[in-house]
Amino acid sequence: MTLRTYVVARILLTIPMILILLTMVFLIIRVLPGDPVLLHLEKHATPAAVEQMRHQLGLDKPLWQQYFDYLLGIFRGDLGLSMQDYSSVGQQIFSAFPATLELAIYSMMIAASLGIFLGVQASKAYNKPQDHVIRIFGIVTYAIPVFFLGMVLQLTLGLGLHWLPVGQRFNPTIAIPQSPWYVDLNTPFSTSLISSLFKIRSVHLSTGLYTFDSLLEGNIFKFIESLRYLCLPSLTLGLVLSGVFIRLTRSNMFETLRLDFVTAARARGLRETRVTYSYALRNAFLPVLTMVGLQFAALLGGAVLTETTFSWPGLGRYIVDRINFRDYTAIQGAVIVFGLFVSMVSLAVDLLYAYLDPRIRL
Amino acid sequence: MKKPVRKRSSFNNQLLKIGSLSKRGLAGWLIIVGAILVIAIIVMTGISPWIRPYDPIAINVGPILAPPSNQHLFGTNDLGQDVFSRVLSGGGVMLQVSLLSVIVCLAIGVPLGLFASYAGGIPDRVVGLVMDSLYAFPGLVLAIAIAAMLGRGVINMALSIAVVYIPSYFRVIRSQVLSIKETSYIEAADAIGARNRTILSRYVLPNIVPSIVVVATVNFADAILTAAGLTFIGLGVPVTVPDWGLDLTSGQRLLTSGAWWVISYPGLMIILLALGFTLMGEGLSEMLNPRLEQ
Amino acid sequence: MKNIRAIGRMIIIGIIIVIIVIAGVVGYYLTLPTGPSAKDTLVMGTTDSVETNLDPAHAYDYFGWEIIRSLGAGLVDYLPGATGPSDIIPDLATDWNVSSDGLQWTFTLRQGVKYDDGTIFNATHVKYTFDRNIRMQDPNGAFVGIGFGDIIQNITVVDTYTVRFYLTTPYPFFLTLIAGQECVMVDPKYAPMHGSSWNATDSIYYTEGDPRASNPMGLGPYTLANWTRTAGKDQAMKLVANPNYWNASAGIPKTKNIIIQFYQSSATLTLAMENGEVDIAFRQLTVTDIKTMQSNTNLQVWQGTGNFIQYLCMQERYSPFNETKIRQAVGAAINRTMLVSTVFQGQAQNLYTMIPIGMAYHKNVFQDLGDPNYTRTQELLASYGFNATNKLTFDLYYETTGHYPQSPQVAQVLKASIEASGVITVNLQSLEWAAMGSARNAGTMQAFIYGWYPDYIDPDDYIQPFMQTSGGTWLNLNYSNPEMDQLIGWARGNTTDSVRNTLYEQIQDLSAIDCPQIPIYQGTAYAVTSLKVKGVYLDITQNWRPWLLYAEQ
Repeated sequence: MTLRTYVVARILLTIPMILILLTMVFLIIRVLPGDPVLLHLEKHATPAAVEQMRHQLGLDKPLWQQYFDYLLGIFRGDLGLSMQDYSSVGQQIFSAFPATLELAIYSMMIAASLGIFLGVQASKAYNKPQDHVIRIFGIVTYAIPVFFLGMVLQLTLGLGLHWLPVGQRFNPTIAIPQSPWYVDLNTPFSTSLISSLFKIRSVHLSTGLYTFDSLLEGNIFKFIESLRYLCLPSLTLGLVLSGVFIRLTRSNMFETLRLDFVTAARARGLRETRVTYSYALRNAFLPVLTMVGLQFAALLGGAVLTETTFSWPGLGRYIVDRINFRDYTAIQGAVIVFGLFVSMVSLAVDLLYAYLDPRIRL
Repeated sequence: MKKPVRKRSSFNNQLLKIGSLSKRGLAGWLIIVGAILVIAIIVMTGISPWIRPYDPIAINVGPILAPPSNQHLFGTNDLGQDVFSRVLSGGGVMLQVSLLSVIVCLAIGVPLGLFASYAGGIPDRVVGLVMDSLYAFPGLVLAIAIAAMLGRGVINMALSIAVVYIPSYFRVIRSQVLSIKETSYIEAADAIGARNRTILSRYVLPNIVPSIVVVATVNFADAILTAAGLTFIGLGVPVTVPDWGLDLTSGQRLLTSGAWWVISYPGLMIILLALGFTLMGEGLSEMLNPRLEQ
Repeated sequence: MKNIRAIGRMIIIGIIIVIIVIAGVVGYYLTLPTGPSAKDTLVMGTTDSVETNLDPAHAYDYFGWEIIRSLGAGLVDYLPGATGPSDIIPDLATDWNVSSDGLQWTFTLRQGVKYDDGTIFNATHVKYTFDRNIRMQDPNGAFVGIGFGDIIQNITVVDTYTVRFYLTTPYPFFLTLIAGQECVMVDPKYAPMHGSSWNATDSIYYTEGDPRASNPMGLGPYTLANWTRTAGKDQAMKLVANPNYWNASAGIPKTKNIIIQFYQSSATLTLAMENGEVDIAFRQLTVTDIKTMQSNTNLQVWQGTGNFIQYLCMQERYSPFNETKIRQAVGAAINRTMLVSTVFQGQAQNLYTMIPIGMAYHKNVFQDLGDPNYTRTQELLASYGFNATNKLTFDLYYETTGHYPQSPQVAQVLKASIEASGVITVNLQSLEWAAMGSARNAGTMQAFIYGWYPDYIDPDDYIQPFMQTSGGTWLNLNYSNPEMDQLIGWARGNTTDSVRNTLYEQIQDLSAIDCPQIPIYQGTAYAVTSLKVKGVYLDITQNWRPWLLYAEQ
């Protein structure tokens, strides 16, 4: 199978998977007991008002029609209206997403680097106490409920050090980082499309990742600030996920270090660190990459709890809030986005892996 | 008719391996320690009605938020409940949820995996596709969505966790079945006219049991952590049932007052229980799939 | 050879690192923000948020109203530290009077008050505001909830600076209605009519990146400079002093910038407060957090009258609570003292009537029923055949979303208290806040714990929505007593204080017999600030006045 065939097949495979994903979410959400329409109609829930809300949300149509509207809407990027204030769920998710993405990236970085480093140390000292300690560490960190670890870190590092913030994403007294590039949407063309879709007048072309945007803005202070706020949440999530990387690196490194070419490198007199990190680690790269992709789902799950613990304004906290409001359009939208996100990441990882490792295509 | 001679299956081989646990180094120790933890906690929860000093849900049995003392070994919480009694009795919900979810997974996932992957072709493809889609969901998110729809309670929590975990069983079973399918003794059994059902139950199933057990232990551990997570979000059990997860959630508000004992002990118990299963899983998987032969 | 190369390489790497560090440090100090100085800005943290939007016709939540009142001004206001209707002071209206039949209220308006575009505020704006809010008929909002449309017949512009309200029947407390935070003036420019007539869809919602378009007010002490909502959840808000504010000459607002940070939980808010990340922490702090901060010498804890109450509701449509004596029996089994001391550790008060302590006509009528009196409970239930072996069983619902403080704890202690009678079994059930509203509308909960913040500061607001047949339809308990209705009708329509006093005493006496609801406790209001912050007023109105806050240097 050539690379091209594999890529095409893999991408084509994603389509039915996503369709199944969307259908499953639709089915799950429709089982919802209780009438979501009577949510906020307190003292004077006249039948007329109830009907108006049902109509506004499209809930009075037959089920199969709702299903098709739902699918069509998703293709257009319309995830429905929030039941709390009728604003676009898509826009809400769009604004919450970068926070989770940033948290995910940094947590994964911490998990991977910590895991690789410890894994290498463990593989060097195979079956010696150091190895056992590191392995136990990896297992134990996985068994800790991530919100419990978060609370512990909040108390010890947050309050103790008095420098790391224990909640929120950025300093409230200064403007959030934005790239200096600016698009004014009041021009006739874009006003109709984008600004009606997202109800915004002008947009800074920012990624929404504060660390990145602050560098784009050239503001070192904001960069440090955003890192400061990222510290505890990503440390919490990264620690919990590092165990998998420890185990993976350990076993890979162990096998690789015993291969002939490593012995040859050593015989030629290369320094041990060079041998370890340049040669042997390169072979561990592919499995680690795969693991990043596989762990992404777990990462997002842990992000939900981490965001709740640290008041991190991401998609995870969004879902938890929406449950309390029985805002099922929003829950539906968020679950879809989570699923799509993981599908995309695993697709990307698969494709990258196929490009790098010829064996997989066979 | 002569009975067909049974070759010594790898199942028996694996049994022998487990038999000599303690001689297997770290892997053996992991299993032993893990099993001890789990059994100890189960026993503790089971006999808790007789050994606990106070009723775990009775309020005001002691001063409010009192630190550990002789009357209250682990102190009291903000309702004056005895933390020690709550710790002794709080494992019930988590054990029930994880056990139930494992049972559901086994009941649905194993037959599904066996039949779909053994049959091959379209059923295999279709089921595999559905499983992959399910797998794409972050477990907690899907569990949250399902639990939010179904409501609270042990059964609903277990069901949402089970749905999330079935794909894992499916994958493991499928890879195992695929590798076994082509071995000679399966071909032999097929040749002598054994029905598919017999082949599956007599030949295939016993060989994949160890892998299933490994997945099941990880399933237990994950179920416990997911149950804690669901309770943290508010989708857990009613407050009248003592539960470690509940204590963690309501204890989070008390951290700032310095009442560390309210969450530390329940949190520690959750860690120990999840750890027990994880250690068992680690040890078992290392034992059955030794990769690092010295 | 190799060594020299290695050393050379190390030197180069070292130099690069040093350059990066220096550049970083320089960049850091160059980009240090020179924003508003500490003196001009106060940061407030809260776990509340704007529940829906900042449109007075639609918003019906505590925090929403606070912001609405900061951005807008009403005809009248309450004196800070107010105790009742006698503390109502002029705001946009300088004078007012009521006709002898109580049906016409005339307000003289302040002159020279400007909107942001220079338009002078006059009587047409008052008419526009009230017409709009009433005719929008937004079922979610206070104007429908309180029934302004039923109370006000029409609003007439008498002359440029005089406006008159014609009422359908006399309401002695009409002034307190007008003093409510939802009765602030809108700016017609930002609250336009979209169709040919007013409609609930004209409500002004949050607009991303445009705080001016996200609220329809314009005459208040502050303007909304920033409102960030990520994914429907409030992140931050910034209030900046309104240069056109009519009372700016008196130095209002005292602090030019107020930044509001929204926190997920009391724990994170408390940690932030102790860490110095915020200057003020207000709502909803848990009991233990307040206790912790009370012992922190770097913080000051402000305490004030609360007007928030919680009460027990019982569904009278079917058994068991269709029987008055059974309701009385449950009422007699409530140990308020234990609840207040256990759950609130003294940060609340026992409540023996629906009218809160500190408000006019308050009378402790439920105290005689039992506090607790388990013998009476047992006697009352015995006549229905309930005893220690055959216990009365019912489901008690509480909310889990944190809408009220510590609901699970209140529920547990209430259960323990009622069960201590020995003849009742209580099954606790929980629902999210929204689901509880649905269940309330459907009338499916046997008993539930509910709370109340007043819509206006008058005893009527604690009686009519609960005990009057038509007023109580939202609560859906199916309680109806014609005698009670008559008393309430008289009390609402009478302007003489002594007459109202007698009537409300009779109403409360009757309520202790009928037990439509059982009052449980009244909360105390708390706010925590750093030592330098002054100007915090926690009075019976529960109005949070950011324009009076300032930091002492």
